[in-house]
Amino acid sequence: MKKEVDARGKACPKPVIMTKKALDEIESGVVITIVDNEVAKENVSKLAKSMNYNFKVEKTKDNDFVIHITKGEVVEVESNTCQPNIFKDMTVVFGSDKMGKGSDELGKILMKGFIYTLTESIPYPSTLLFLNSGVKLTTEGSEVIDDLKKLEEQGVEILSCGTCLDFYNLNGKLKVGEVTNMYTIVEKMKNATNTIVL
Amino acid sequence: MIKKAFCVVTFNSTNHAIQGEKILKDRNIEIKVIPTPREITASCGLSIRFDKKFLEEVISCIQSAALNIKGIYEIMRENGKRIVNKVY
Repeated sequence: MKKEVDARGKACPKPVIMTKKALDEIESGVVITIVDNEVAKENVSKLAKSMNYNFKVEKTKDNDFVIHITKGEVVEVESNTCQPNIFKDMTVVFGSDKMGKGSDELGKILMKGFIYTLTESIPYPSTLLFLNSGVKLTTEGSEVIDDLKKLEEQGVEILSCGTCLDFYNLNGKLKVGEVTNMYTIVEKMKNATNTIVL
Repeated sequence: MIKKAFCVVTFNSTNHAIQGEKILKDRNIEIKVIPTPREITASCGLSIRFDKKFLEEVISCIQSAALNIKGIYEIMRENGKRIVNKVY
């Protein structure tokens, strides 16, 4: 099966959505996406990477990018650690900087304790997502940066919601992990065998 | 093969632990509130973790503030096992 997606002239996130739709429609085979800018090329490549599909990018003489994504060939993810089973296919969603409902003071303490304990127990969750006031945990002034950095060093993916950083005026204050958007958040939650929302 | 040791202060209640965190932080001692390690107690208590080099400082601070604590323990990792000693 071969599908072509012409996403030239389409604004972000359209090229990614079109590519994903095409990939979802085929059982196996190749999806060829054409985009006309660097950002779209990066985003489509990221999509392929996140789905563990092989892909290659070519630049045409018209300065377009042609991305070939092969579905059905799952890439062996190389682990940078020598310990087997270091990760659990699990996404943890931090929707707040507090754990549970009740006293805010206690909620903050419990959250600190929870994140510290994550660093102490293997396997680690593969992804941590931070949204709404949860982004206060990944930004300047957070007391759990060291613990989150420790997790990141072990290969845990740490993602904070860009809309939320913006809302709380925390743009540029991220201290650990990367910025993400709702598409990736939904994808990570759907693709993990186990998603825990705190 | 002994890995870096650290110490924890344990308390009789959650509120004492919160009070302890405030007092030690005000003294600018590098501390962290953590769930009490299972080797010490299986209860869901909070304790305060700090580097062994601050032991004297922490003890004097606890004494001067008349802070109600349960004990101070030293935790070492040896060959993947944790060893706990009560130090105060």
